[in-house]
Amino acid sequence: MNSWLCAIDHKRIGILYMLSALLFMLAGGLEAMVMRVQLAAPNLKLIGPETYDQIFTMHGTTMIFLVAMPVLTGFGVYLTPLMIGANEMALPRLGAISFWLQFFGGVLLYFSFATGNAPAAGWFSYAPLSEKAFSPGPGLDYWALALLMIAGSSIGSAINLIVTIATERAPGMTMRLVPMFAWMTLVTSIMIVFALPALVASLVMLLSDRLLHARFFDAAQGGAPLLWQHYFWIFGHPEVYILVLPAFGMISEIIPVFSRKPIFGYPFVATSTVAIAFLSYGVWVHHMFAVALGRNFLAVFAAASMLIAVPTGMKIFSWIATMWGGSIRFTTAMLFAIAFLLEFTVGGLSGVAFATVPVDWQVTDTYFVVAHIHYVLVGGTVFALLAGVHYWFPKFSGHLLDEKLGRWSFWLIVLGFNTTFFVQHFLGLLGMRRRVYTYPDIPWFGALNLISTIGAGILVFGIFIFLCNIGMSLLFGAKAEEDPWNAWTLEWAATSPPALKNFAQPPEVRSRRPLWDRKHPEAPDWLALGRDA
Amino acid sequence: MNDRRNQLGMALFLIAEAVFFLLLILAFIYFRGPAPQGLGLPISFLYTGLLLASTFSMWRAAARGAAWKLWVAITIGLGAVFLLGQGSGYVRLFLDGVAIRQSLFDTTFFTLAGVHALHVLVGLIALAIIPITAIRTMALYWYFFACLWLVIVLVAYAGSVV
Repeated sequence: MNSWLCAIDHKRIGILYMLSALLFMLAGGLEAMVMRVQLAAPNLKLIGPETYDQIFTMHGTTMIFLVAMPVLTGFGVYLTPLMIGANEMALPRLGAISFWLQFFGGVLLYFSFATGNAPAAGWFSYAPLSEKAFSPGPGLDYWALALLMIAGSSIGSAINLIVTIATERAPGMTMRLVPMFAWMTLVTSIMIVFALPALVASLVMLLSDRLLHARFFDAAQGGAPLLWQHYFWIFGHPEVYILVLPAFGMISEIIPVFSRKPIFGYPFVATSTVAIAFLSYGVWVHHMFAVALGRNFLAVFAAASMLIAVPTGMKIFSWIATMWGGSIRFTTAMLFAIAFLLEFTVGGLSGVAFATVPVDWQVTDTYFVVAHIHYVLVGGTVFALLAGVHYWFPKFSGHLLDEKLGRWSFWLIVLGFNTTFFVQHFLGLLGMRRRVYTYPDIPWFGALNLISTIGAGILVFGIFIFLCNIGMSLLFGAKAEEDPWNAWTLEWAATSPPALKNFAQPPEVRSRRPLWDRKHPEAPDWLALGRDA
Repeated sequence: MNDRRNQLGMALFLIAEAVFFLLLILAFIYFRGPAPQGLGLPISFLYTGLLLASTFSMWRAAARGAAWKLWVAITIGLGAVFLLGQGSGYVRLFLDGVAIRQSLFDTTFFTLAGVHALHVLVGLIALAIIPITAIRTMALYWYFFACLWLVIVLVAYAGSVV
């Protein structure tokens, strides 16, 4: 027990991040199910509007700040040193404090339920609703303080990852040979360093308003509620890519291994990531199209937003081209990776629709938004994470997952997810508002919402099977060899699970597939493909 | 090698701080409220000068010569004078009824000054306890917040004159 509480080893901290995310995922999932049950039929009043507001606020805040970010950080912290052939993070104690700040931030946020007044202003807590005059209870203070801790934690872990990748790479591993997941982790971490301070600034201003009666967002006193929207989304839009780029990194590791081909267009996948990172700072206003900001202003941000589809599309084509002509092995990990391509593309397409200002005006604040964000963050991030868990679990635990249960969970999750969220596109187009606790009996509303609720039940069942698979594997699963997938990156050169010191000798790196070179001394990549391979 | 890791980490942290303060400064410029009477900018310039002077003693300490402890002590002394001097000025204003809730200038300026002072305070505590191996990393922190204060004073002064 003590060895976990005081852990500074990157593998233990990575596991702690994942367990903490799992704990909060159960809470956030429960909140989601409460909402879906409440919305199952028109005019239901199982919970009141005040409770519903708290539940959807906590669901969004939990899933983004207590689940998605920490689990991705967990993968980054666990895998990055292994992938670059290092034995440890560059700043191990910073890693430990980052985790515990994150965890206790989550605990603090959930403590707000004990006051009977959880935050209820949505996950982006727009001013003036989040001001003392309209949210007098302590909920928003808990929200802001918890997010301050979590933002500090994210900045700390991001700095740690950047320094690690910059200084700890194995001899011979130039930046052109770094595995794609580590590349994406690097870009994500740089984005965190530039974006999270905007959240911190917003929260400091909000807390000054709430606790010291400052006037930042108080329009009656000359303040500007719009300033909150600008600052929050200057953080908030890069945040979307902070949540999805590591997922891209996982996909970029998994698809090549199960297609038995190196990734197609490595330089393009890496540089398009950098392009996405740059562009993501110039598009925040597309969250604010419904604010009257002036036509030219909107046009610029609409164009910039559509531009992001270009580097993102390049990646999708790179992954498809990697599979093309490959000898594909349909493991559960690969199935989730392929499903990711489809689901994320749906979310990307509705995103391009949103970048068109008149479309945005038509469907803003409706269930179309809910459908879009869930296709991006569940269809994108969560599907990639599930692929990643199935791929790396043998490395984490030393046990193989059961492929049969894996398939069951895969199909249930695909079915449940699409049933839940696809119909919400139609609900949005029909005009159903989001964040309202119930709805009148309008044609189609009841039927589509019932379908969505049934889908959510299937999704939960699929997740349950997935968790059972993990539990069974830990108890009775077959032992995993160090390299069960015949993969190419250095984490598979360590034992499963890796020893405290990852590598007995520093690994030799001369190409992007150091393990291939070791297994095929007769035809190593660096000989066949030259320096850049 | 350790020095390189720590300094890179600190540099990245300061980039994050720069973004944070940039946004607070932008909020200050955006609102451009009229400054209250008696903000005492001339005396502020004196304290600002002392804080800037402390970067010299910090630089001498970071050279890690025999007298490094003396230079650290001088840095701490100058930083403390800066904090106490600025603080007493703000307390006097507060007693005269100038508070963060009073006007947009007060909201934006005192949030900025308060958050900056908090960083200087943390820097003073850190300087008092760190070993010689961490002095170069800490020096980066100190240079950054000394120069940042110059920027804040210039912006505030320009804002209240124009």
